Amino acid sequence: MLNVIEYEKVIELAGYKREDFSVCLGCKICASVCTVNDLSIDMNPQELLSSLFLGNTIEKDNPLVRYCTNCYRCTSACPWKIRIPEVVRALRESLSVASPFEKAFKGSIDIWGRVYEPYVFLKAVPFLLKEGYIKYMARWTGYISVHLPHKVKRI
Amino acid sequence: MDYGYYPGCSLTGSARKLDKGVREIFRKLGHSLNEIPDWNCCGALEYGDRSELTRLSRENLKKAEGMCSEIVAPCPACYKNLKEANSGNQFAILHPLELFEKDIMGSLNVKRDLKGKVFTPYYGCVLLRPEETSIRNRNVMEELITFFGGEIEGEKIKDRCCGGNQFFVNKWATERLSTLILEKSKGIMVVFCPLCHMALKTFSKDRKIIYLTDLVLYIMGENNVI
Repeated sequence: MLNVIEYEKVIELAGYKREDFSVCLGCKICASVCTVNDLSIDMNPQELLSSLFLGNTIEKDNPLVRYCTNCYRCTSACPWKIRIPEVVRALRESLSVASPFEKAFKGSIDIWGRVYEPYVFLKAVPFLLKEGYIKYMARWTGYISVHLPHKVKRI
Repeated sequence: MDYGYYPGCSLTGSARKLDKGVREIFRKLGHSLNEIPDWNCCGALEYGDRSELTRLSRENLKKAEGMCSEIVAPCPACYKNLKEANSGNQFAILHPLELFEKDIMGSLNVKRDLKGKVFTPYYGCVLLRPEETSIRNRNVMEELITFFGGEIEGEKIKDRCCGGNQFFVNKWATERLSTLILEKSKGIMVVFCPLCHMALKTFSKDRKIIYLTDLVLYIMGENNVI
């Protein structure tokens, strides 16, 4: 859970200012087109924006924080084109909810400047085993290639 | 024509097939792709800090300075991020789909047609949204497929989300979203996003999921099967 001052940081990380959300009309068209609807989960992007604007509580298990797919359907439909997926990403970062795979992804960029997939995969093996990803291995054979990481990049 | 080329991480890893296809088709069209030296990750859709995400792609644009004015980026996430970082419109950021327009395809050496074959073009999210960074022609895959005699059936699901972004977080969510797309489509799925390719392929039982480049190479007589 974050306090109100930390919300300012979230809004800033997403590239917005608090007053940018004051234009929200409350039309909830973002909720009507959201992909998370297809998962039969009760959610509402507009409520998330209101919560950030008003400083209401947003928990780690908020459906959007957990399931937003970054599809930008909400942004396309929004009359003000508010980029809600970017707000969600900033919120995820502030609430530290990255999965081990996502952490390995960023770790790879920190080391090589690029994503080195074998490293990401190996680093996330405990997570992949625990979560049952191993059953997809047969279908992933076409993607697996053995190669060395690219040299360290300056970023 | 000379273009700068930004393959991105996935095209040098799990989506090498797409990289190979893009390079091959550009070569056949008479264009040369010059890889940006020492390029780094664009940040994909992983960074919560928007300024960090833009900084990563701006680094790539700096590395391209002086070598080209037009950059081709096949991965939808790279394409989006480079476009967003290109604030002063210093470069023209292009997606291969924008160059595979009908008039360009007309100049290809066509050896096969697609008569009788049914396809579902699937763009996914990032190629079509948000609008300011999307590709110009939102029907380019449909136009190409029908131009070469292919048929398009099934519901309009081309811009639905496959949930690929949730794959390594909540895989059941990806399974449900990808399954919805597979159920509503018919024939061979044609994609251009490495993440969509992986998500749909993982959850499909017997469907063919191919890159558009595979299809173009088939038409040109390079691939024997699609």
